[in-house]
Amino acid sequence: MRRWSIPLLWLLAALGCGWIVLTTPVAADLSLFASRTDPVAELLLEQLRSGPTTRLILLGLAGDAEAERAAVSQRLTERLRASGWFARVANGADALPDAELQTLFAHRYLLSPTVAPERFTVEGLRAGLQQRLAELQSPLAVFQKRWLAGDPTGELLTLLKQWRSGLREPAKRLGVWFAPDGDRALLLVETRASGYDLAAQREAVTAIRAAFAAASAGTGVQLAMSGPGVLATLAADTIHAQAEVLSTLALAAVVLILLRVYRSARTVWLGALPMLAALLAGAAAVDLIFGKMYLITLAFSMTLLGETLDYPTYLFSHRRAADTVADTVRQLWPTLRLCVATTMLGCLAMLDADFPGLSQLGVFTVAGIAAAVATTRWLLPALLPPDWTPPRPTAIGAWADRALQPRPRLALALGGCGALILLALIGKAPALWENDLAALSPVPRELLRLDQELRTALGAPEVGHLIAITAPDAETALRHGETIAAYLDRRQQEGVLAGYDGPMRYLPSAQTQQQRQASLPDAATLTANLNAALEGLPFKPGLFAPFLDAVAAARTAPPLRPEDLRDTLLGTRVNALLFPGERGWTALLPLSGVRDARALAADLPQDESSRAYYLDLRAETNRLVAGFREATLIRLAWGAALIVAVVWLGLRSWRRVAAALLPVGLALVFTVAALLALGERLSLFHLVALLLVLGIGVDYGLFFSRPGADPDSRRRTLHALLVCCGSALTVFGMLSLSALPALRAIGLTVSLGVAASFIAALVAARPLLTKMS
Amino acid sequence: MNRWAWLLLAGWPLAGIADDDALSQVMRALAAVPAVEATFREEKTLSMLDAPLVATGVLYYRAPDFLRKRTLSPRLEDYEADGHWLTVETPDAGRRQFDLNGYPQLRPFVEAIRAAQAGDRAALERYYQLELQGTPADWSLRLTPRDADAQRYVAAIVLRGQNGRIVSMETLEPDGDRAFMTITPR
Repeated sequence: MRRWSIPLLWLLAALGCGWIVLTTPVAADLSLFASRTDPVAELLLEQLRSGPTTRLILLGLAGDAEAERAAVSQRLTERLRASGWFARVANGADALPDAELQTLFAHRYLLSPTVAPERFTVEGLRAGLQQRLAELQSPLAVFQKRWLAGDPTGELLTLLKQWRSGLREPAKRLGVWFAPDGDRALLLVETRASGYDLAAQREAVTAIRAAFAAASAGTGVQLAMSGPGVLATLAADTIHAQAEVLSTLALAAVVLILLRVYRSARTVWLGALPMLAALLAGAAAVDLIFGKMYLITLAFSMTLLGETLDYPTYLFSHRRAADTVADTVRQLWPTLRLCVATTMLGCLAMLDADFPGLSQLGVFTVAGIAAAVATTRWLLPALLPPDWTPPRPTAIGAWADRALQPRPRLALALGGCGALILLALIGKAPALWENDLAALSPVPRELLRLDQELRTALGAPEVGHLIAITAPDAETALRHGETIAAYLDRRQQEGVLAGYDGPMRYLPSAQTQQQRQASLPDAATLTANLNAALEGLPFKPGLFAPFLDAVAAARTAPPLRPEDLRDTLLGTRVNALLFPGERGWTALLPLSGVRDARALAADLPQDESSRAYYLDLRAETNRLVAGFREATLIRLAWGAALIVAVVWLGLRSWRRVAAALLPVGLALVFTVAALLALGERLSLFHLVALLLVLGIGVDYGLFFSRPGADPDSRRRTLHALLVCCGSALTVFGMLSLSALPALRAIGLTVSLGVAASFIAALVAARPLLTKMS
Repeated sequence: MNRWAWLLLAGWPLAGIADDDALSQVMRALAAVPAVEATFREEKTLSMLDAPLVATGVLYYRAPDFLRKRTLSPRLEDYEADGHWLTVETPDAGRRQFDLNGYPQLRPFVEAIRAAQAGDRAALERYYQLELQGTPADWSLRLTPRDADAQRYVAAIVLRGQNGRIVSMETLEPDGDRAFMTITPR
């Protein structure tokens, strides 16, 4: 009965954890960051997560004849517009749908920036009428004359011009956008959902594929798609697929290794138990503490738990027929305990309230490692017969003694090299780091290249410079936007920037609309002015009755508000640039062709009740990543100090501490140097992988310098560490072959690090111990 | 079956060929003209106005795809279609250039006269249904837009000509407005 109490307890705990994990949602959110420290960073992150640029999807249609590509572009546009998923679908055919023209036309006197008192005097009206008459004579009159009776001052023309100027246009062929070389027809689509709402993005992508399949039926046209949302979806899919294949292969390889080394099937399933426990406990701990788990936590947790595979190996290799299983575990326990404590302390570096994704990773690892070591310590002895030993190795040959022979000179040389490399690394520290957030993107490179190609061809707004206004309400934001627009107009003339967009371009503030209303004359004055202006012109009497009615109606119309424009193209364009959030309303003014950001930011007009921020997205994200990294490095330093302290507490001898920890220090230095030599720049992925190397490397050092070990026990340690190192190299070596930057970075770092740790521990740990004794 | 019937059966395709043949003859005659320089007088009758709008100016054509319509009176206005580029110049708005590829709705208007003078039947038929009346020496060609969108703006365009020379062009709009342009060589 006593024998089964521990497995039963373990099973209950596992089921409990499993239940927690199954009932907690996984947030399909790729972002690691959620800094709340300063408003600029917060605005920035909001932009990175859901700003208009993240909602863009770029489409390219290639193949078949030019006319077919253009026709598919048209059909696809119609279908996408009808699908309701998209706030904007543009393919260059700039004929606005008739309903949209009617909307613009209906509100022309409130929306048009050219509405002013002088427009409605006798002279102003006469100038307008003569202009219209000239237009009637032109060959283009057929397109314009339907608006004439209601709009003799030509406000609709102003509005259309403004509507088109929001976008720098690519070249057109057959009426639609094409890449300069004519190979691809181009479309620009804006989803209603945020670019990081992966579920919605996935549905939008599916909608596009379905619409394309219908629109391209019977042609040879092919679709290429890009954009933050698409990339995120594809990345998630590719990572999923690649990780699945690679981990299946790796698992098979590890099983083979274990079977070959120990000749026992029991080692395989017993060896998997600590890992399983770690996964369940880690996930349950994250769910309990955070209430939800980020996708990225799940993705990387497997990596960090790689160390847990080693724990049962230590037990298997150290089994001797003379001792019971419980005895062996007890002998190993002081070292194993230290291994676990040091790994947990290393994970402290990841606990940062500003970065919930990383904090989750930290919590996951701490809980997982604890569960894994508890499983190894108490469950495995309970499940194994007391005198069980694996069929192999019964004895380890003379090769082990040769390998274990102390080589003080080699150790000294290794140490010297390490010190020199460390100095060199410190000297060129800034160049080591990858600050570009894009480089963190888990997206395959060819997709990024396609994205760049489409973006260049479309002249799509880049994630670049923008002004963000935060205000308590939409009206204040629009008014402030108008002040800034006047400022930007001035600076534009001085050549500081090429252009800008903003919600106030499409929807003026109520204040401005009221000023425009005030500039409209009353019915009697307008009629008199119009009649005087019509003198001598050939327009039929009574023709302009719609104009008189429209002005009279506009004088008393309530100002247009953002909510009045719902379900129109005008509305969706405004909504992308003006939206409510947690802290009131935000208005965005994307800038293009900025020559001197500092000059522009310095004199930005401010307002009493709202604030304007100048955001250089690239610079800000780089600053954010660098800041995060500094914080992590400081934590790592504290973690390292704590590790030293704990190891000293465990070993009570500085000599032993040095023997246990110096090898891993050397290994980290060599790993970083090797990564740089391979042309990598250190990103977050490398950093996370280096944490695992630290965890594993300390274990190697601790085991090689284990106190009170006899020669046979040392041989067994060598055997255990060879198995651990071999399995880790197999698993992470496979990852390093992946085309995905994230998996490659992790795979490469861990394989290099594990190999370096093993060699350094083997060469340096013994001499450090024996030299002084 | 009697021999009259045979004759009829053998003869009926000839009627179509004859018509087609006249159109081909006209097209060949037009295509043979390398350049045209002419004055024009255009009279627009619009329901909005109680007097017609009259404009005069000069037309230039150079085979195969250069056409310039320069209005001199009542005000200067210059339209120039060269390949797929359309250049518009007015005294107050200055010179603006459009890529006709970006404004497909303009293309039929340009081609109605430019492709006609070039004798480019394929280009004409891309946008219009063609109906020829009269003889190659004195013909009238009715162009009816194929595209529903174009039909909203134009009911038909009627060109009259003698051999390779276009004498007049009448544009009929669906709402009853029309424009009549007479062309006189210089």
